[in-house]
Amino acid sequence: MATQDKRSDTSDFPEIINTDNLQSNMKSIYYSRTFLSIIGGVIAGIWGFTGFTGFVFYFVVMLAASFGLAAKAKFSADSYFDSWNRVLLDGILGGLMSFVLFWTFAYDIVHIF
Amino acid sequence: MGLGFVVGIIGGFLIAHAAFSTIQYRGELKIMEEQFTGPPFNVVIELLVGLGLCLWAGLAVPTKFLSILPHSDENRVVSLPANLDLWFSTTEGRCFHPIQI
Repeated sequence: MATQDKRSDTSDFPEIINTDNLQSNMKSIYYSRTFLSIIGGVIAGIWGFTGFTGFVFYFVVMLAASFGLAAKAKFSADSYFDSWNRVLLDGILGGLMSFVLFWTFAYDIVHIF
Repeated sequence: MGLGFVVGIIGGFLIAHAAFSTIQYRGELKIMEEQFTGPPFNVVIELLVGLGLCLWAGLAVPTKFLSILPHSDENRVVSLPANLDLWFSTTEGRCFHPIQI
C-alpha cells in the first residue's frame, strides 16, 4: 500500500494517507466533471445560450456537480481527500474548455446548420 | 454502476430528442419568418430532466470514493506497534519464479 507522510503543523506525529486511494478519488472527480462539462455544453448549445449567459450556465452546472460530489463523499471530504478544495474546485477550469467546445458544436448544429 | 449507465443513456436520449425538437421548431420559425427567442417550454423541461439524469449518472458511474485514512476498514493493515515503519503487503511472500529442487 503506497503511503505518504504528511507532517501536520499541530501534531508531532506524521499523518499517513493512502495515496493510491487519493489518486483514485481524484480520477473519479475528474471523470465526473469532464462528463458534466460536455453535457452542460451540449445543453447550452441546444438552449441557444450566447456570450456571458453560457458561462453562467457552466458555473451553475459545476456548482451542482460540486454539491453532488460532496454528497458522494458523505459531506466528510477529510475521509477521502486531503482538502475540501479537491471536491469543490478541482477540475472546474479544466472542464471549461470541454464545455466551450461542445457548446459551440451543439449551437452550430442546432441553430446554424 | 449498471443503473447509472442506463440513467445516463436515457438522459442522453432526452437531450438528443430536445435537440431534434429545437431544430424542427427553428424550421417552423423560419417559415413564419419569426425570430428565435428560446426553445418551447416542453423542450426546456426535457433539457432540464436530461441534465438531471446525466448529472446523476455522471456522479454515480465513476468508482465510489475510497477512504484515505489508514485506520479505516478499507485500508486495514497489519502493523507491529513497536515499529510502525514495518508494513505487511499482500504481495510479500509471493513466489514469482518456481524453485527448482
